[in-house]
Amino acid sequence: MIRLHDVSKTYRTDKIETLALKDIDLHVARGEFVAMMGPSGCGKSTLLNVIGLLDRPGQGSVEIGGKPVASYRDRDVARLRNRMFGFVFQSFHLIADLRVIDNVELPLLYRGGAGGGERRRLARAALERVGLGARMDHYPNQLSGGQQQRVAIARAIVGQPEVLLADEPTGNLDSRMGAEIMDLLLALNADGTTVVMVTHDEQEARRVGRIVRLFDGQLVEREHAHAA
Amino acid sequence: MLRNYVLTAWKVFMRRKLFTAISLLCIVITLVVLMVTAALLEAAVHPAGVEGRSDRFLQVYGIRSEGPGGHRMTTTLLGYKTIARYLKPLKTPERVAAITLPRQVSVYQAEHASEASLRNVDADYWKIMDFRLLAGRLPDADDDRTGRMVCVLNASTARRLFPGGAPVGQRIEVDGRTLQVIGVVEDAAHINAFADVWAPLATQPSTAYQNELRGNFAALLLARDPADLPAIQREVAHAATTFVSEDPRELPTTWFWADSKLDVYARVLLNNQGRPDSGAARLLALVGGAMLLFMLLPALNLVNLNMGRILERSAEIGVRKAFGATSRQLAAQLVVENVLLCAAGGLIGLACTALVLRWFEAAQLIPYLQVGVDFAVFGWGMLFALVFGLLSGVLPAWAMSRLDPVHALKGAA
Repeated sequence: MIRLHDVSKTYRTDKIETLALKDIDLHVARGEFVAMMGPSGCGKSTLLNVIGLLDRPGQGSVEIGGKPVASYRDRDVARLRNRMFGFVFQSFHLIADLRVIDNVELPLLYRGGAGGGERRRLARAALERVGLGARMDHYPNQLSGGQQQRVAIARAIVGQPEVLLADEPTGNLDSRMGAEIMDLLLALNADGTTVVMVTHDEQEARRVGRIVRLFDGQLVEREHAHAA
Repeated sequence: MLRNYVLTAWKVFMRRKLFTAISLLCIVITLVVLMVTAALLEAAVHPAGVEGRSDRFLQVYGIRSEGPGGHRMTTTLLGYKTIARYLKPLKTPERVAAITLPRQVSVYQAEHASEASLRNVDADYWKIMDFRLLAGRLPDADDDRTGRMVCVLNASTARRLFPGGAPVGQRIEVDGRTLQVIGVVEDAAHINAFADVWAPLATQPSTAYQNELRGNFAALLLARDPADLPAIQREVAHAATTFVSEDPRELPTTWFWADSKLDVYARVLLNNQGRPDSGAARLLALVGGAMLLFMLLPALNLVNLNMGRILERSAEIGVRKAFGATSRQLAAQLVVENVLLCAAGGLIGLACTALVLRWFEAAQLIPYLQVGVDFAVFGWGMLFALVFGLLSGVLPAWAMSRLDPVHALKGAA
């Protein structure tokens, strides 16, 4: 489903050159739950961004559904991000001015096709899926951290993407809320959504199907974990 | 999508009220200056009211003669003899009026002296212009023929000279001649109408004007139909080629042109008396360019404010990109936000423009000025708002659309 060939990525400033990824070969199959682990600055988030087409590799190629995306134009990449991927960020990144329901509707807005009523219905369903059906008219700052992350997950899944990309989704939450979010991601994966998650938490990683470990921008280990 | 753009715009405006207020103030001040200018130009070039027939009359304001090789040149107003000999006999116009430009004269009434602006006109003038008669009657051809010593006052002058009394039938001394007031008309500020006192040509102290090819006169030529105007212009241009100057050897070549109001301004301002083209298109381009330049500085200021707003919203932009917004959609969003802000500024600006114009009228900075916010000014106002919105929104929108989503999500745009 997602295949990376010899992907490298270097960040350059005026004086400093930082190798973020080096010769990454990775294949994520449909329905997998992959946890990416490694120390801070090892390139996990960069790799997730490359997979999610938020960032372009300096070298190598990315294939989505068997098609290389290097030649895609802005509009094609945006369409792929919209239909293929759902993003969950460590700091939630909800839009503070919009109500919960409007935040969740966002991906549908850029998809086109669905009218306002249909968008609302789908957003409501996504919020009910994450247990926040009663908080639709709240604003993000009226919710706890765990609830905000649930809203972020609802926003990520509202368009029924094939792949959920989660960048340390429990990083800003306490252990109980973190466990709830993990349960939610596992449930989504059980329903067929492919999940790629960056995490520092060994226990969380052990609950998913596969762990890949990075060090200094390179893949150092692929291991199959035991799902909880 | 548009509904969402508007909703987002509203949220953004409300989020930073001071910022929104400063932006609005910047827009409103700019648009008020532009709209007041547009209203004054509109009143000058497309006057209604007393010059409401200006869509079917032309005016000849200048006469230029040149010597061989262009070594000697003279540009003046018309003399009455030029109008009588070359313009009055033209076949296409329905009427040709001879008018002097207004000049300051002394007026004595009941031993009170004052200054007034006097214009000498013939009877055709009153048929071409559309003055609203408030009392008495207007001079006619009979007054011209018999040389009656009569005059017409405008409403302000009538009130000033005869406070509380009826001016019609009274006598006043104007420029050393005693004239009987036969009518009172409304005040008018337009180029062919402006005066305090109007008197027939024959009331002038001397008849020397009848023998002058150059002098203090202009001619108004009324067409039967607006479609006749080009024919009149051709006829006038041809008449100029038959003009015989006072000194045909020294000044063998002469031009005078029948111009629309805009052409009159353009020809004088751009010194085009020697060419058929008045330069109106160039004048309009210059005015348009000046207005655009005037908009540029506040637009740059707004660009700067918008860039700051983008930096503040970079995380939101990153999120929108991550969830499938294209660069074009994001750019459109900011442009819509900006155009909405400018449209709001335009509406507030219109209200302020109406107040400023009312103050202009009340303060009489331009005597007898009557100008207000009509549909044309409203249209100009909205056009200015749109252009201003695009000018100040496109560059930030382009910058916004170019944001790298990863950096934007980190809030490091």
